Amino acid sequence: MPLTEDDLYRTSTQYKYWSFTSAQLATQRETTNLQATERVKANVARQRAARARSQVESANTSDAGSGVETGGNTPLHLGAEKEVNCLTVAEEKKLVDTFCERALELGSFLKFPIDVTATGIQFLRRFYLLNSPMTYEPQTISRTAMFLAGKLNNHNVGIEKYVAKFPKVTAEQVLAPEYLLVQGLRFHFQVRHPFHGLKGGHLEMMEMARGNAAPAPHCTETREELQKAMLALPKHARGNPQPWTVEQMEKRITQAYGFADKRILKGPAQLTDAYFLYTPSQIWLAAHLLADEPLTLFYLSTKAPPTSPLHEKLLATLRACAALLSAHHTYKPDTLSAAEKEARDKLEKEQVSALIRKLKHCRDPDKMDLVKLNAAQKRDAVRADGELEESVAKRRKVQREGFEKQADDFWGPELKKEANGTK
Amino acid sequence: MSKAASRVANGGAKGHAQDGGASPLSSNLRRLSLANPPPKPSAFADPSSDICPVCKSSRYLNPNMVFLVNPECYHKMCESCVERIFSHGPAPCPIAGCKRTLRRPKFRRQTFEDLKVEREVDIRRRVAKAFNKVEQDFETLRDFNDYLEVVEETTWNLILKIDVETTERRLRQFEEAQKAELNAVNPAAARRVNEPDPTVLSSTSHVVLKKGATQRKVASAVNTPDPFIEDTKTDNGFIFRGLKKPKPPPPKKVFDPFEGYGITPDYYVTQESYDVDWLTWFKDDKAHSAGGFGMKDFYDHMLCESFAGLGVFVGEEIEARENGASGDSAIGTQTAAMAAAGGAKDVDMDDVF
Repeated sequence: MPLTEDDLYRTSTQYKYWSFTSAQLATQRETTNLQATERVKANVARQRAARARSQVESANTSDAGSGVETGGNTPLHLGAEKEVNCLTVAEEKKLVDTFCERALELGSFLKFPIDVTATGIQFLRRFYLLNSPMTYEPQTISRTAMFLAGKLNNHNVGIEKYVAKFPKVTAEQVLAPEYLLVQGLRFHFQVRHPFHGLKGGHLEMMEMARGNAAPAPHCTETREELQKAMLALPKHARGNPQPWTVEQMEKRITQAYGFADKRILKGPAQLTDAYFLYTPSQIWLAAHLLADEPLTLFYLSTKAPPTSPLHEKLLATLRACAALLSAHHTYKPDTLSAAEKEARDKLEKEQVSALIRKLKHCRDPDKMDLVKLNAAQKRDAVRADGELEESVAKRRKVQREGFEKQADDFWGPELKKEANGTK
Repeated sequence: MSKAASRVANGGAKGHAQDGGASPLSSNLRRLSLANPPPKPSAFADPSSDICPVCKSSRYLNPNMVFLVNPECYHKMCESCVERIFSHGPAPCPIAGCKRTLRRPKFRRQTFEDLKVEREVDIRRRVAKAFNKVEQDFETLRDFNDYLEVVEETTWNLILKIDVETTERRLRQFEEAQKAELNAVNPAAARRVNEPDPTVLSSTSHVVLKKGATQRKVASAVNTPDPFIEDTKTDNGFIFRGLKKPKPPPPKKVFDPFEGYGITPDYYVTQESYDVDWLTWFKDDKAHSAGGFGMKDFYDHMLCESFAGLGVFVGEEIEARENGASGDSAIGTQTAAMAAAGGAKDVDMDDVF
């Protein structure tokens, strides 16, 4: 049974589990937000009730000491019964997008290759599709996601080295949410990126310009005809055909490649929902479409002839994807003047800091300390003071002594060391 | 010593006499009964088995003595006698009254205590090798049963020495006819079968005792088409009704590890080489090529990723899949997660499993 490229893509987890329609995405985000909100409210209410009880008790025992122990990490300072103001769906999405942008910067700061960074960002996006930033704090998770992406993409940095790059971050803090993240990703570690596809397309276009490219299996034209058609492409969309030399065409193709790679695939493609909504080959073609429309349309026509129904459908999809990519604010930042840009950045910054402030007041108190939660799940559940529980420690000791005794019975006791240190 | 010799002479009659003079039937019945089990056949129970009939040396003097028999006449003799008499080539059997020529390699230890059983097993083995048909080879069960009867008759003829000459000849002819048939159908299998099997005594090998004229004659007869041989070949020895024609086995397929699966690209054809600036470094790098890294694989990979999923329209396909799967939504982790999320409880990540 022969398999086509499309069949191969259909076997990937990205297609099976992480591709959605936009309606599905919206519902999923709403569901996640709703659940997180309910949970935060319930947990905060529970904690407040517990604190109120203990306050009443302490007030009964000693009259002094009012409000001393309210230094917990949930907001309780103003009006004890004030309802928690949770994030909305839009705010959550904005927050996740912001942290994805920061993750991109984080990747360049860590000097990770782009596909590692991109994997980390997609991990974040997938994780926050099913979890809310109110439950798990995005900054912690993004550090872990980056670390995990490095490990999974043949770019392993030891945890000690990795942690050393951040001030005030311990190895436990990075490792604690790792399993949580992996569960949230449903153990699907492969992310298919459009970077390789863009390279392949670039290679083929270059050969096409030189007249060496073997035509696709269903293509009726010869390689010479393809070259001739390519060297007579218009410069811009809706322009007139004009002659090109091979060198000029090569330069044009390289430019388009550079633009699509640096400006789109490494920016907007990562920071939008493109990976959920489109396939990697559609993403790179859409990026190329934005970079050089006549060239991309010509290239597409050699793959799917304009007469076929696939061509029209494909083009519609590519245009929709291109619209999504070009709508992002990181696309073509040069078109804005410096003042405009500054003003926009400032506004953005204010919005984000307000959001982060708001987030601080609506965190889920149960999931506040991931390190402790992680430690509690392990077999040697440690207590707050870092000591094993007494009964557990005692049982362990008895067991160990039993094992040692068994081993001694079988192998004989350990050799006695010489008392006077002779060798 | 003379007493022992007389026991050898009439071993069977003496055995019955020792049972107290009862009739042979009652002694047999006694042997069968469970109440008093028969005496264990120890090496010293029957003195006749302890003394070599050729050299008359007894086990009493030589505890390591081993007796051997030759399937030609099944006469027992000790190892040293075999060594002494037959080490210089074929010689007649030293037992009085037996004139058969024996050869040393055919001597062996007996498997069964009773030499009659030993002989019958040998004969049966040989006949079964020639008549190796199974029920599937016949048109009807009736034909198969007829065949079985012929086989059994042949076997008993050989065992009871009735019409041995004719039976042997027919058996040989049948064997040859079978070989020829197998050869015509499947040469490879025939070669395997025709190889001499050292464990099974061959029917023809004992005929040619002296290497020389006879053997050469046989060889020439095989090589040159002789009208006489041709005639005997048409007579297959045995003719069975309802025997199906042997079918040649289907030709062996070439091994395909992927069982027909393969990638046939729809959108591209990979070339041998691509020439781009950023690739030249890798192409020229000895470290890459020395490690077995082929540029062709890289091109294949890149181009495959270029078009993997080009014709996959996520919006439509996912929707179609959701609608298809809505009846039984317990498929896949994602749907399971969605189902959990749809319930009153949150997806509790910490104990999702």
